[in-house]
Amino acid sequence: MISWRPTPALVRACLLAFGGVTGGVALGQEVLVVLAAPFAVLAAMGLAGRPHTAPKVSARLDHYRLHEGQATTSRLVVDDLAGVEHVTRVAAAAPHVATQPLHGAAGGLVDAGLPTVVSSPRRWGRRAVGAERVALTSAWAGWRWGPVDLPEHGFSVLPQTAPYDSRAEVPQPDGLVGRHRSRRIGSGTEFEGIRHFAAGDRLKRINWPVSLRTGDLHVITTRAEQDASVWIVVDGLRDIGVSGGIDGASSTLDLTVRAAAALAEHHVRTGDRVGLLVLAADGARVPLGSGPRHLHRLQGTLARVRTEARSVAPERLDLGAGAGSVVHVLSPMFFTPLVTATVSLQRSGASVVVIDTIGDAMSGAGADRLALPSLAARMQKVERDDRLQRLAALGTPVVPWRGPGTLDTVLRQLARRGQVPKVRA
Amino acid sequence: MASARRMLRPGVTAPVVLLRALVFLLPCVALGLALPQRPHWAVLLGVPVSAAAWARSVDHAVGIVPLVLVGGWWASHGAVDWKALVVAVLLLGAHVAALLLSYGPETLVVDRRLARLWAGRVLLALVPVPLTWLAVRELDPGWAPSWLWLVTGGATVVLLLATARLTRSQPA
Repeated sequence: MISWRPTPALVRACLLAFGGVTGGVALGQEVLVVLAAPFAVLAAMGLAGRPHTAPKVSARLDHYRLHEGQATTSRLVVDDLAGVEHVTRVAAAAPHVATQPLHGAAGGLVDAGLPTVVSSPRRWGRRAVGAERVALTSAWAGWRWGPVDLPEHGFSVLPQTAPYDSRAEVPQPDGLVGRHRSRRIGSGTEFEGIRHFAAGDRLKRINWPVSLRTGDLHVITTRAEQDASVWIVVDGLRDIGVSGGIDGASSTLDLTVRAAAALAEHHVRTGDRVGLLVLAADGARVPLGSGPRHLHRLQGTLARVRTEARSVAPERLDLGAGAGSVVHVLSPMFFTPLVTATVSLQRSGASVVVIDTIGDAMSGAGADRLALPSLAARMQKVERDDRLQRLAALGTPVVPWRGPGTLDTVLRQLARRGQVPKVRA
Repeated sequence: MASARRMLRPGVTAPVVLLRALVFLLPCVALGLALPQRPHWAVLLGVPVSAAAWARSVDHAVGIVPLVLVGGWWASHGAVDWKALVVAVLLLGAHVAALLLSYGPETLVVDRRLARLWAGRVLLALVPVPLTWLAVRELDPGWAPSWLWLVTGGATVVLLLATARLTRSQPA
């Protein structure tokens, strides 16, 4: 039961005041009365300042949907502040959550406004924010309410979208609308050429300057604009390296999730239909879709990616993707079955690009090269590099994630490859 | 300065350390004012040890021990001279320093406005000290009527009972 309780300082002042006065009178020691006099004032004022309310304390966050690196403010709500002079809040420490004040303790006089605590998740994923203890103190520090434990608020912190942009068109756009230039002539806005007017051409397509100059009617032809279906495959089977959050080093999973978020945002904003497949113990599959709501869904799914030791690499990637789809496989490629599944997907007709998200996780700078963990890491890296080389030899492009422009060259090459006439046996 | 900061625990600021130092030092200085007279060894040992424990845990009940020891020694000393005024100020200073620390954990930054508020309250609390000191020194107890002591004792008992009633916790 929470109630207003006397503070240790009030109890001390009362004991000293009454003990001093009593001792001075009973024992005839006048010095005790002199020493007890100031404590008598503190005791009297503290006792008189007892509040008679039963305040209800709660806290609310300004935002419940955050990207890593963004911050939200926790504001205290006290329904009755009568008799309260000071408020103290101490936020519980949570992994990958930075607070302001730095160690989560904030306090101040009530007349200056209730203290606030700013929390900023520094890494994507499920984070708990808002668990704290609150204490109210009356005037002259005589009485204390609490400390009251306030519950935490758990929410998914969305990955920060790494700066990413691409000017390359996807190799085989197959939708009806979009920003990608089609190989077919159609009713877009991208200029293709000028030709003689033919029956059936729209009058608004007539180019009058050319027609007047040549004496014959000419029309402008344009390319159709199409969207593409893009699949993003996220390898959440293992997380190699240490994550320092958004301010520090990135683990492989950090890099994978942030790159996937950047790619998803880029393609959704371009007007493409984007799907997501998460390879993890509790994997997830988001079907193709487009628009801002779909982007939120993709980011939310990415924020829930968790690695577990029991995760097993799949034998095949079941995307249900057609031959015209573009598939980005974001993975550090530590598992041979995943390599096999990627090659199978490539052979089924999809344009597959493997994005290597190893980053600096296995650079091993400063580590003892002869230590067993360092040796094991190097062996793992040699095997991984060999897998990637074999993957490239089988025709699947492999590019390390570098942010903007990572895929430009590869996508252009894939587009050119798609236009080359094929001879089938 | 930088090396001193490194010695502090993370999040502990210099004002907090200063207040803890005051909680420890002020009772010791109040006892040290007795020099050249030498207090009993138990008092000499008890005051620093209990003050150190108090400085470490400002909300602990041990906080009353150094104040009682110092006050008790000065009472047994018996002289109501100018040093009694200084001792009163020092003991009140230690009490208020501990009180400022008790508002929150050690990582809580000491609020300047709160410190200023308490500085004013300390001055207010010190007002009766010189008055009491003068009264004790200048008034002869032998001239006081005999019923005065009975009334004073009775009033003290009443005040104790009233305090006990007021400090009893009430369910919300």
